[in-house]
Amino acid sequence: MSVAVTHISKRFETFPALRDVSLEVETGELLALLGPSGSGKTTLLRVIAGLEIPDTGRVTFAGEDVTDKSAYERRAGFVFQAYALFQHMNVYENIAFGLRVLPRRKRPSEATITQRVTELLELIQLEEHGKRLPSQLSGGQRQRVALARALAIEPRVLLLDEPFGALDARVRKDLRKWLREFHDRTHLTTLFVTHDQDEAFELADRVVIFNEGRIQQIGVPAELRKNPRNDFVRAFLEV
Amino acid sequence: MRRATNDPWQLRYLFIGTLFGFVLIFLVFPVVVILVEALRNGVGFYFSTLASSHSLNAIRLTLLVALAVVPLNTVFGVCAAWTVTHFKFRGKALLISLIEIPLWVSPVIGGLVFALIFGRQGWLGSWLDAHNIQIMFAYPGIVLGTAFVTFPFVARGLIPLMQAQGSMEEEAALTLGANGWQLFWRVTFPKIKWGILYGMILCNARAMGEFGAVSVLAGSVDSNMTMPLQVELYYQDLDQGLPRAFALASVLLVLAGITLAIKIGLEWRRLVLAVRSH
Amino acid sequence: MSAIASLPEADASVPVEIDPGPSAPILPNTGRRQRHILPGFRLTLGFTLFYLSAIVLLPLLALLLKTVTPTTDYPSIAKVVGHVIDVATDVRALDSYRLSFGIAFAAALLNGFFGFIAAWALTRYRFPGRKIVDALVDLPFAMPTAVAGLALTQVFSIHGGYIGQVLYAWFGWRIAYTSWGILIAMTFIGFPFVVRTLQPVMSDLAVEVEEAAACLGANRWQTFRRVILPAVRPALLTGVMLAFGRGVGEYGSVVFISTMIPYSTEITPQLIIIKLGEFDYVGAAGLGLVMLLMSFAIVATVNLVQYLAARRKGIA
Repeated sequence: MSVAVTHISKRFETFPALRDVSLEVETGELLALLGPSGSGKTTLLRVIAGLEIPDTGRVTFAGEDVTDKSAYERRAGFVFQAYALFQHMNVYENIAFGLRVLPRRKRPSEATITQRVTELLELIQLEEHGKRLPSQLSGGQRQRVALARALAIEPRVLLLDEPFGALDARVRKDLRKWLREFHDRTHLTTLFVTHDQDEAFELADRVVIFNEGRIQQIGVPAELRKNPRNDFVRAFLEV
Repeated sequence: MRRATNDPWQLRYLFIGTLFGFVLIFLVFPVVVILVEALRNGVGFYFSTLASSHSLNAIRLTLLVALAVVPLNTVFGVCAAWTVTHFKFRGKALLISLIEIPLWVSPVIGGLVFALIFGRQGWLGSWLDAHNIQIMFAYPGIVLGTAFVTFPFVARGLIPLMQAQGSMEEEAALTLGANGWQLFWRVTFPKIKWGILYGMILCNARAMGEFGAVSVLAGSVDSNMTMPLQVELYYQDLDQGLPRAFALASVLLVLAGITLAIKIGLEWRRLVLAVRSH
Repeated sequence: MSAIASLPEADASVPVEIDPGPSAPILPNTGRRQRHILPGFRLTLGFTLFYLSAIVLLPLLALLLKTVTPTTDYPSIAKVVGHVIDVATDVRALDSYRLSFGIAFAAALLNGFFGFIAAWALTRYRFPGRKIVDALVDLPFAMPTAVAGLALTQVFSIHGGYIGQVLYAWFGWRIAYTSWGILIAMTFIGFPFVVRTLQPVMSDLAVEVEEAAACLGANRWQTFRRVILPAVRPALLTGVMLAFGRGVGEYGSVVFISTMIPYSTEITPQLIIIKLGEFDYVGAAGLGLVMLLMSFAIVATVNLVQYLAARRKGIA
């Protein structure tokens, strides 16, 4: 499913987080939003998810305007930077949550839920951990559960907010590889936010560089390196 | 636990001694005296006092008042905490200050304000009279006054708790498709249930023990005597009244003891959980 | 209390004014915009405001209005306000203020003194029974005021009271049924406020700061005066004010331990009840207003103290 945002602006009190941002994401693309902290990339992700309401501009999913739809209606899978797992539910229940809260007509049977959750547990390689509580898991494990939870609702687009930020280097490398393979397999439109240039360049089909609430440049990694459009991009990529 | 590395031992003994003295005189003796005086005329007298119609009615009324007040204030507390935690709006600090007003105001004022509305000379007095509705000097009045005095307890416990917990889990649940009620019951409620309990028992203790507001609103009508008022009645009865007062007071004391025990239990539990999650 | 806001980190180099850019058409927003992300705003705010108004705000407003609304007895606003002023400044009322506020203040100071000692001992020393004593501090919170009043009266009574008897026999002092009794009751009621306000602040004091002071040559008293006391002073003030506010409004325990003699042991809440009994609603409302104003003054002071303390620390 393609995603497009047009002329999005958002300010918090007096701080302009996004200034007239427009972007088109192609179906099945793996897109990185890259930039220093405060540049607006997380805010844009939250706007797309429906967790922030932009002051101006529209958001469309596959051509359909979803700007006035709540997060609840958009079916965008969101993975928070701090995982936001439900602390009092075990791993199984966390992943099953999205299925359990479906309206009665659409809700799958218990057996179906069990099947789906088991599949997802296998996908994230945590089959034995279904009964564990989030507090009993490591950072990397929690991250995978957060991913599985978002995937359980079969979202049309996957949004990841600094997914590997709080993890140590080796875990990060493993998860990066996993994400790339997962994406290659499923071709689910995915956007992820990062401030790590290597990560963005290694994973993404295209990279969007942000600064001060504006998009500085969009392009495939090789192109960005060869032809940085302005001083900021040049300096940012050099470092 | 802090090392008392530097305080000279004389000071330490002085402080600890003073503390024990104060606690003994002001806290322990009163508790002991209630139990001793309650049983002064023997166990038989004690139980017959409690079984007397006056006492039983008082106990019943107190329970009925608490039964009305605690759920109402709890629902309010949860609502207020949800509003303050999850939304941004102007005047939030003002709202919180307004909620805390009853804590600062004398309970007699809590009774006075409703007397001024529902009493005979009050705003609605003649209208109520004409329609034969009794609020003042009756159960509804007592409930209102008690609700006023115990108003902030649940909210005050929940607001900082929920603010510390933040909105992230609720936002996550929202992206997963949960609607408002599902959000509350499946995500928020499990997080705050102990906080709710804590607020409820404080609210309950205060509601059952309320004296000032109820004095105003109950008048001297016999059927309006809650336990604290009945204790006062016994106290004023110069003929054998005093041991009766202590007997009924001991029931309230037991209630206070249970409240304290639950409160300590919950606080200990919170401490244990906080330590464990690090 | 900190507000939860998901603000991105403000970059100092970001200019504050919004720069619209070369061409930025502001597209019209069709359809209903949801104002808040999470649901239930109108429902919860609505109920909150409704219940708050019904139980707290409107009744207080009624109190205020009563002091300025003409009645059959006082047919003009001037007459009503005149009566309010009469009652509120009558000698009997003034005596009751002196008693209510005066003794509450003395009790608050007492609590400041004993509460400080208690908080200090509880946070810094280890001794047998510490946990029990700590739990007992909350007793005045949990105990109904009438029960407290009854018990304290008995303890300090000269007939058969553990302490009252002793003090009367040794010194000829009477406690129960005098102003001293009121002082005792208000001290009991206010004790937890000071202790519980001080404890978190005291236990937060970093040991290293005191050790540093000691290394720099300060003796224990100097360390206390220059390092520790300034840190706990705001909390101590707050606690004392809280105890004061509580004492001023106290009724239940005082009813038992004093004889309520007008002009000598009558506290203001008692006078309000008497006025109500005489059907002088306006007078009662006037006295209530005086008490309300006092309460608000105390709240304002507490907030001011906390604000100044936070500002000194650079938070506000």
